[in-house]
Amino acid sequence: MWNQYSIGMAVVLASGVIAFAALAFERDDLHRLLLIDLVEIPSLGVVALLGTDLAEALVLPGLVVGIAELLALSHIYLLKEDLRDRPEGYLHIEVVEIGHAPVIIAVLLVVYGLILSGFTGGGIAGLGIVFFFMAKGHHENFSLLEAAAGISWGIWVCSFFVFMFLPQYWMLAVLGAGAGILLRHCPVLHPLHGRALPAGPRLHRARHREPG
Amino acid sequence: MIIGRISRFLSDFDNLMPVFAGACALLFVLGILLLPLPYSESQLYPKRIDRASSLDPYDRGGPPFTQANISMQYPENSPTAGYVTTYLTPFSWWLSTTTLHLGTTIVAHPGGILDEILYNTRGLDTVVEPTILFIAFAIASYLFRKGI
Amino acid sequence: MLAIVSRAENQVEIVFGTDAYYGKEISVDEMRFRRFMSIACGLACMGAMVTGDLFDFTLFVSLVGICNVGIVAAVKTKHVQNAAFQYGIVALTATVPLFGGAAITAATTGTLSMIALGTALAGPVPFIAQAALVLGVMGEGMAPFYAAKAEMFRAPGAPYVIMCSFSSLLIFLRVVEVVLTI
Repeated sequence: MWNQYSIGMAVVLASGVIAFAALAFERDDLHRLLLIDLVEIPSLGVVALLGTDLAEALVLPGLVVGIAELLALSHIYLLKEDLRDRPEGYLHIEVVEIGHAPVIIAVLLVVYGLILSGFTGGGIAGLGIVFFFMAKGHHENFSLLEAAAGISWGIWVCSFFVFMFLPQYWMLAVLGAGAGILLRHCPVLHPLHGRALPAGPRLHRARHREPG
Repeated sequence: MIIGRISRFLSDFDNLMPVFAGACALLFVLGILLLPLPYSESQLYPKRIDRASSLDPYDRGGPPFTQANISMQYPENSPTAGYVTTYLTPFSWWLSTTTLHLGTTIVAHPGGILDEILYNTRGLDTVVEPTILFIAFAIASYLFRKGI
Repeated sequence: MLAIVSRAENQVEIVFGTDAYYGKEISVDEMRFRRFMSIACGLACMGAMVTGDLFDFTLFVSLVGICNVGIVAAVKTKHVQNAAFQYGIVALTATVPLFGGAAITAATTGTLSMIALGTALAGPVPFIAQAALVLGVMGEGMAPFYAAKAEMFRAPGAPYVIMCSFSSLLIFLRVVEVVLTI
């Protein structure tokens, strides 16, 4: 009765017990947040033990849910502990200036994406669109990413409904899903870019106004 | 008396996490004790591994624009299932014919049967999943703009 | 009419022993955000109630969990923020038994459809998977720990906070039904 699945389960469950025990004894909030990442790993292990292609597809939602909640929780933590950005020494990323180059590159990417077609093609076309918008308005990086996240979610749901109700247009749906996945993962990148850029100029302006 | 003490302990939200983590640890210990679990042989989307293929672990199969046969959960809902199968971009096609190691990198060719599962036959999973990401992002961006 | 005039979403605190009282102002922006979260929470609840697939059910439940966090996280009060954070990490941890339960079910029976699981054709669902599902929903909805959730209810904004307890009650009822079915 001790098949491979049960042996794998024993290992994963044992590691889960260790992770949960650590979480139970930890008192510091930040360390709890970090330990949750450790706890997620046995969860992925349990799903991966399915051993079919379905397992790979189910690991993705598990991973994304973990990342998403971590994103929200870390912001709640920042607010709760009253941690702020320090104005000095923020990263200045030079973005391509407004001109013809972004348009040409974006068009090339979109055309190449359409030629490739299907999921990969949709992804490349989406990359072209993201690149165009990012090069265009880098000052409103953050609100732009917000809008992009919303729109991509819309594209995604639309292509899902195409799959469901108009199955003969499945090709369109795959393209849409491919474009959606790329735009959708923009928000995950935002802690690197979105935070640093808008905060800097605003704080400087406030400092200038003070003496007057 | 004892109930009062328990409820006082539980009403402090700092104690919630240890209680829940302890319960989970207990459940996992119970899981180890009950272990030998049967593994069903008739799985959905079974995975076949072809060691001879140059895409070895990630050969997700199927020629483009033809319908592959897939064992899925709700076949009556997806008449077009099997069309969304894998294909390679020209560059990865060249790589796969020259080396034997393309399949060891998952980014080389996302998709194939995975796209079929994620976007077609189990599409609702994937719709709910970006919704969670979207809500979490809305919370984070609201807090970012309002608070700090 | 009375509810509209009295503006139930504004919380008033009375200083004990005197006649003084002070109200808490809530910005329109905050109310709009929380309204959005409550609507999302309601839709997620609806999804969790009607879905017939075990994995979709777990995903909807975690959506309910994060919406609940969102409804209270918008409040500026320090105490409420603290409670929201603690509740949030419990909700995040609860996804482990939730997904684990669904995966064990799929591995041992070979199906995720509740209808197929309800028939005798699929093998019996192991006890550990059922227990994991119930524990996961308890973590997401805080079902038996309402005493701790009351800390969250001290957040101002009456109509939306109700959604937290209502949704957790609904998903808890649903998981009991699911576990009895499969």
